Amino acid sequence: MTFLALFLAYPLFYNLRTSVHDVRLSQLLGGSWQFNGLDNYRAVLDDPAFWHSVRLSVVFTLGSLVFQFSIGFALALLFARPFPLGGLLRSLLLVAWLLPPVVSGTLFRWLLDAESGAYNALLEAVGLGSLSHDWLTDPSTSLAGVVFANIWVGVPFNMLLLLVGLHTIDPQLYEAAAIDGAGPWQRFRRITLPLMRPVSVTVLLLGLIYTFKVFDTVFVMTGGGPVDSTRVLSLYVYEVFFRFFRFGQGAAAGLLLLVVPLLAGVFYVRRLRREETTGGAT
Amino acid sequence: MSYTVDRRGLLRTAGAGAAALGLGGALASCGSDESETVTLTWWDYFTLDNFQPGMNRLIRDVEAGVPNVRIQRRTFPFAELDRQITLGAISGERPDIAIVDNVAMNTLGGSDLLADLTGRVEAWGQADQYYKGPWDSCRIGEKILGIPNNSNCLALYYNTRMLESAGVEPPTTWDELASAAERLTSGDRFGLALSAIKSEEGVFQFLPFLWQAGGDLDTFATDGATALSFLHDLIAKGSLSESCVGWTQQDVNTRFMNQRAALQINGPWQIPTLKQADFDWGVVALPRDQEAATCLGGENWVLMAQSENLDKAWEVLEYTQRPSVLVPYLVSFGNLPAREDLADRGAWASDPALRLFLSQLPLARPRQYGRGYADASQAISEAEQAVLTGSASPSAAARTAATKIDKALSGR
Repeated sequence: MTFLALFLAYPLFYNLRTSVHDVRLSQLLGGSWQFNGLDNYRAVLDDPAFWHSVRLSVVFTLGSLVFQFSIGFALALLFARPFPLGGLLRSLLLVAWLLPPVVSGTLFRWLLDAESGAYNALLEAVGLGSLSHDWLTDPSTSLAGVVFANIWVGVPFNMLLLLVGLHTIDPQLYEAAAIDGAGPWQRFRRITLPLMRPVSVTVLLLGLIYTFKVFDTVFVMTGGGPVDSTRVLSLYVYEVFFRFFRFGQGAAAGLLLLVVPLLAGVFYVRRLRREETTGGAT
Repeated sequence: MSYTVDRRGLLRTAGAGAAALGLGGALASCGSDESETVTLTWWDYFTLDNFQPGMNRLIRDVEAGVPNVRIQRRTFPFAELDRQITLGAISGERPDIAIVDNVAMNTLGGSDLLADLTGRVEAWGQADQYYKGPWDSCRIGEKILGIPNNSNCLALYYNTRMLESAGVEPPTTWDELASAAERLTSGDRFGLALSAIKSEEGVFQFLPFLWQAGGDLDTFATDGATALSFLHDLIAKGSLSESCVGWTQQDVNTRFMNQRAALQINGPWQIPTLKQADFDWGVVALPRDQEAATCLGGENWVLMAQSENLDKAWEVLEYTQRPSVLVPYLVSFGNLPAREDLADRGAWASDPALRLFLSQLPLARPRQYGRGYADASQAISEAEQAVLTGSASPSAAARTAATKIDKALSGR
């Protein structure tokens, strides 16, 4: 309880308090914070840049989740059956997840570079030179570029959790289905998919919570640019705080950023509880 | 003396100075009179290895020359320093002395965080020794809130052989720059490289174009449009890579070093790297349009208003301005002096590239626009990026930015 109070409640309260005061750099000293009610929230909600970054965050999150999950699922299915070097490959894939985002972000900045980047070289090598592109400095593809990097970062995590899920499915079910004459596709659809649903929902929820507030990968790769094409919500909050030093507004925007992960968190916890009471069957 | 050597060894092994210096202070206090020694905390962002010998020497000089003072130094990454100083206002943890980017004076200046040095500077009486731009960057309204640490500005580097084989002279005007850049472009080599990244770095490189067009932030709608369309034309002709919207000044220099750019706009801090290039290069002033202009960079020394040791800290600043202390420090950093009276003293007196940069300092302008500058700067970089990536026309982007700039600078 003390732990929660100290490390969660107090900062949250402090943030809440800041968000209803006019706190700019010039007001920091002297402690004469002016209470201004919901002005900070109003200022944020009136800012077109805020809504732009909300849209970007939604696209970023959905794009990341869809691909992370489907690629992760495919890889999990692949690694679920034993094959030579499978274990080694699986641990190699995990490296992507272990890398600090700053490192993976920098890595992708180089890989996607227009002139010296490996991806364009690769495209040219396979005769698709016309597709080579300045991914991160063209506003129409920069978001795709950072989503791409974030997918790469997220796939191993998805794979790992889904793999654990696959291992919990009783192999006898597949045997019985095979005896009854079900083909691989049918077995997948009728057994794997339904039984994987609880795990999948968990994976997606955790992914949503994590992805919605991703900061470092994007910050390192594009800094929110070109123009404002990759300024997701977390970068917007950062800018209000540390570029413009409008702490009150930053606190307000930060709390608004919390809304989506918080809702997802509540949903997740309620689900967990339900699973516990019903013994895991959904 | 043996103690100094010890501490140097410690510093070398410890790398980051803080812990080692703390220890050094403890060692020192055993020897000298403990009650009078004042320990000053000193923050800066000079984290690169090649800056450490010069910085350690400066601090040693200060500790030897200013009576009863110990310096406890702490370094931060470039982008982190302002933030830490700001957060220090809340947490109470702040330095006595800091070396900050001169553009940070805009935000820090209006915050009551910095000590007012006006009276001390008047008593000291050396203000007139400084170049105008650097000195102005320390003056906020009527107050002097810092003294210049070092200065730099932008100029145009060229690859000598490339210019010779293309039969091009180093450009001196916008027209010459445009035609030179066009003729120097071939294959995967661009005529010109510059940084237009979405940060203060990009704005630092853009402002000279605005000023050269004869304008300033208050005429952005028109002169901003002129500057933007000049750059836009360079991209349209292929003389400048569209990727420059993602390049830092470091990236730009890398292109120049790899001979993938014949001309680059950059600062004097690249000279040490460029000296290792296996080709000949030169530097000229930035090409002019209506006016000759370049942007002032560099750092200022500031003292924190809440410091309990202001007198001692000021004594340190004053001491660092002695030529015998300042010149070796600037030389070891590859920096230029902000003082005119040092123009014929250090490496910059003989090195042709440094001399060119020094000759530009008198016309280097500080980005001294006050508290709203951060917003204005953001508006400028977004306009530049929008134009260079083809998502807005120069005049439309300039108009949008002008509205934001006016709002920011009117201090809403």
